Amino acid sequence: MRYQLSHLTRYGYQRSIANSYNLTCLRPLDLPWQQLLNYRLTVEPGPCNEYSHLDYFGNSRQLLHVLAPHQQLEVRVEAELSVSPRLLASQLADGAGLLQACDSRAVSDVKVALCRQASRNIPHLPATAMLWQQIYRPDLSMLQNVARLNQLIYEEFQYDPEFSTVVTPIADVLAHKRGVCQDFAQLAISCLRSQGLAARYVSGYLETRPPPGQPRLQGADASHAWFAVYDPVLGWVDFDPTNNVLADVQHLTLAFGRDYADVVPLKGVLQGSGEHLLEVAVDVLALD
Amino acid sequence: MTDHNSPASTALSHWLHASQARLPALFRELQQQLRENAAGFGTNTAPQRQLDPLPMLIAAEDWQLLEAGMLQRQRLLQLVLNDVYGAQQIVRDHLLPAEALFRAADYLLPAAGLLTQPADWLPLLSLDLAKDARGQWCVLADHALVPAGLGHLVEHRLAFNHAAPLQGLTLGKAQIAGFYRQLLQLLQQPVLGEADHAALVGLWITSVRNTNYFEQAYLANYLDIALVHGADLTFRDGALWLKTLTGLQSVGALLRFLPDPQSDPLELEPGTGGCAGLLQSIRQQQLCCVNPPGSSLIDSGVLAPFLPRLCQALLGEPLILPQAVALWLGEAEHCAKVIAGLCAYRVQRISSQQHYLPARLDAAALQQLSAQIAADPVDHIAVVLAELPHESCWQPDTGSFAAACTLRLFSLLAEGQPGTVLPGGYARLSTDGLSLQIPPHGSEIAQSGAQLVKDVWVLADRGVTASLLQSSSGALELSRHSGLVTSRVADHLFWLGRYNERLNQICRALRAALGLASQHHADPLAAQADMTPLLRFCLQANGHAGVLDLPQVLQQLFDPAHPGGLFAILQSLLLNAQSAREFFAADTWLVLDKLQQALRQWPQQSTVQVAAGQYLRQLDEIILLQTALYGLNNETMSRTQALRLMDLGQHIERGMQTAALLQIVFVPAHGEAKPSAALMEAVLRLADTVNTYRRRYRSQLHPLAVIDLLVFDDSTPRSVGYQCLRIQRQCAGLPLLTPTPGLSAVQRLALELVTLLQLTEPQSLFDSEQGATPALGLLLSQIQHRLKLLSDSITLAYFNHAPRSWLG
Repeated sequence: MRYQLSHLTRYGYQRSIANSYNLTCLRPLDLPWQQLLNYRLTVEPGPCNEYSHLDYFGNSRQLLHVLAPHQQLEVRVEAELSVSPRLLASQLADGAGLLQACDSRAVSDVKVALCRQASRNIPHLPATAMLWQQIYRPDLSMLQNVARLNQLIYEEFQYDPEFSTVVTPIADVLAHKRGVCQDFAQLAISCLRSQGLAARYVSGYLETRPPPGQPRLQGADASHAWFAVYDPVLGWVDFDPTNNVLADVQHLTLAFGRDYADVVPLKGVLQGSGEHLLEVAVDVLALD
Repeated sequence: MTDHNSPASTALSHWLHASQARLPALFRELQQQLRENAAGFGTNTAPQRQLDPLPMLIAAEDWQLLEAGMLQRQRLLQLVLNDVYGAQQIVRDHLLPAEALFRAADYLLPAAGLLTQPADWLPLLSLDLAKDARGQWCVLADHALVPAGLGHLVEHRLAFNHAAPLQGLTLGKAQIAGFYRQLLQLLQQPVLGEADHAALVGLWITSVRNTNYFEQAYLANYLDIALVHGADLTFRDGALWLKTLTGLQSVGALLRFLPDPQSDPLELEPGTGGCAGLLQSIRQQQLCCVNPPGSSLIDSGVLAPFLPRLCQALLGEPLILPQAVALWLGEAEHCAKVIAGLCAYRVQRISSQQHYLPARLDAAALQQLSAQIAADPVDHIAVVLAELPHESCWQPDTGSFAAACTLRLFSLLAEGQPGTVLPGGYARLSTDGLSLQIPPHGSEIAQSGAQLVKDVWVLADRGVTASLLQSSSGALELSRHSGLVTSRVADHLFWLGRYNERLNQICRALRAALGLASQHHADPLAAQADMTPLLRFCLQANGHAGVLDLPQVLQQLFDPAHPGGLFAILQSLLLNAQSAREFFAADTWLVLDKLQQALRQWPQQSTVQVAAGQYLRQLDEIILLQTALYGLNNETMSRTQALRLMDLGQHIERGMQTAALLQIVFVPAHGEAKPSAALMEAVLRLADTVNTYRRRYRSQLHPLAVIDLLVFDDSTPRSVGYQCLRIQRQCAGLPLLTPTPGLSAVQRLALELVTLLQLTEPQSLFDSEQGATPALGLLLSQIQHRLKLLSDSITLAYFNHAPRSWLG
């Protein structure tokens, strides 16, 4: 599938700001199942100095420096991507068993080891480990169990954009059984890491307009997020608990991290004070 | 150390034996010097250290081992840092468990890939050491973030060089100045191989004033490098720049005293104190940061259990200086052993940097700690508590006594260089040996009272006694880097000038109002009419308006909680003064302190009549103190651009407030009466111009003549005209940021002000009845407006460094 992506972020300031710095994580990754065909980032007002580097996970980060005084800042990403089909649900049984997947010595990839550890946004919580007890079946592969966890979160948690913010702790999400894609992803990661599994946070997008006859997916009008779990046989496998599916051609991958804090799309530091308003508009159109 | 056979301790005990009687004098002399140094830096508080009169001595043979061991450790730590932030081979090889490394709060993922040369990760190392029971040195802690001592060491050595020979304490000791020269050379090394001689070196401290400020200011002064805050720095064109009055100056290196997470709000933790773009400028090899963010991983202690095997694996040899035994509880056997005998250890939690001293916990807390460890053993490290050796110390009250002692050393190791260990040290002592083994950030078990310290001498074979350091007895002169005034400091000085003048104008107007009250005490109505404009001015001057009844105005002005009151102004004044404290002499602080007291002593009586005399005396004192402050700064501040900025602030404020006062008095709202003779006289008195008026006009009070004197006459120090000329002169002396033909925006505004006054015909401002024409109100408004523009324009050009094209 080919997609046309546009992602607009707009800040408004009460007073005129000179010298604003922003760090972006907005360039979609090039991956075996995803090709970035075109990418353009524009900043209003110009001129804007851009400095790029790759972070630990290989995500492309850009530091944006706008020197001219401005009361509004607009960062617009236009990209074209092609996404290929990924793992089928029927293949989950081919993966490793739980014990094998938890064996940290068997894997030489340090990034996998990193993703087994608790992180700032995803601390160890006994309560999330309890979720695993609810779904675990020893006769199933690790990935099949993860699919059950994915389903559990989808069925028992209410998608509620009013409930949480980017800083809502997992414990609150768990207590109220509500949240958005980011919360569900971090909740699942917390549960998986409590079992010694490696799980990472994936930020990305969903196709905005569904193919005819199919329902519009939750979280399609903004940035989306899900999680991936590491299987020693099949590698990283992506699950979307918000929609109870495996990530597939409708999922556009932006970046990987330990949790949300590693892949904040746009965060800024400005000189001078004043509240700022955030406006985000995401559009993902299928081109074929 | 208590090894009595070594020649070093023999020499010292000889001296002690012969000169017990000289110890009190040496002690006094040393403490006196520390106090004077502290006073010289505007830190009024007593020194946080007590320098023991007996130095700790290290014999030359002992020193060779320490030197070799420290440089080996630094090389090892550089390789480890380069690996954990790079290839991560040691994690892949299970030499360093991922579970321990990745949980460490000090492991900063954004620093991954920042540098590629191992040496750049840790050019400057500090170690804490102690001798174990067998008399062997072992390492207690590593520091990448420069800990206390590097500056104190210089201070202690200078104090000893000055005082000890007088008391006959002369031992051949190694000199330390060479180490500081090498540190400076490292910092001044051009980055990226460019010979950029203009690049500055800064010593970067937190903007929150803490007890370390003195040492850091002292060290910056000794090295003659700029003391900078995050707010002084700005990222532009891939590099860091220092904002100074003379424009942006490129920064080539920073000696960093700011904690890692705070140093870049964009890529690390949000907050103030850091500088956005720091990591990027390091990444672009535009900045040498000593040490770079991420290096504090070694401070966290998480590496300690693994260093012996890492040394073997990476350097192919054992550690020369053994590591104090540290156990990672992620290994089951260690965990069981530690839980069984908790009190013999210090325990730390990797993810939260929390430290525990089980020996000091009660049974319940101990049980809780055991449970916490058992629940998540991989998150814990236990370090065997050492029985620290004791050194003998001396104090006037107690005489000789023994205290537990740890030694702090500093070393430099840059790429392709042999490395240098500072041949001397900073010894910390305590009668409580446990407290010395807790890292400084272990805030829960913080040490109270002054830290007992010793200067550490490395005995030299040759009897070198003359130091390369200059032995200076008094307080060192501050800010020798005097050409350099950072924009932040200039900003504070500018507003210090403005607030000082604002406070002064309000007090003067209040004094004039009270004078009118007592003058008219027979006629309260007339008094009220005359006082009203002055009171309105008092409230308006700090941007507040409100009730106009004298007792209420007084109450508002002297209410410490009122945002428009005098306390609020004084607070702003003090805040700005503190932020630029390196520019003030000790006397200035004395006056500021008295000023604060004078305001607090404001009488509480409710009836003005009763207390009028007392109020007046109090106002007299405040005004006198302010005049003293103004005079003192003119006398004691070095003649740099800094003083010019404070002067500009003062005179811009005076011009604005004078114009505002005259507008209130002479441009009455519709239906109000013309100002009475008594009011006009009060205005003249307020501006110290009654006598000038009498001499010049020899007549009754005419509004036109008063305006002529207070607006147009440029020889009267409180007239608007005088302010404008002075402002114009000062603006002409401001540094030219970008050479352009013609005047700068600031200079143009100053010229406009002077010209506006010159082109106005004073007669046109009053009609034949001596009533003000609209032209007067317009003129006074224009003056205030232009002065405000001028103030904004100075801020934009010199403090914010907005590019020139946007200055209009």
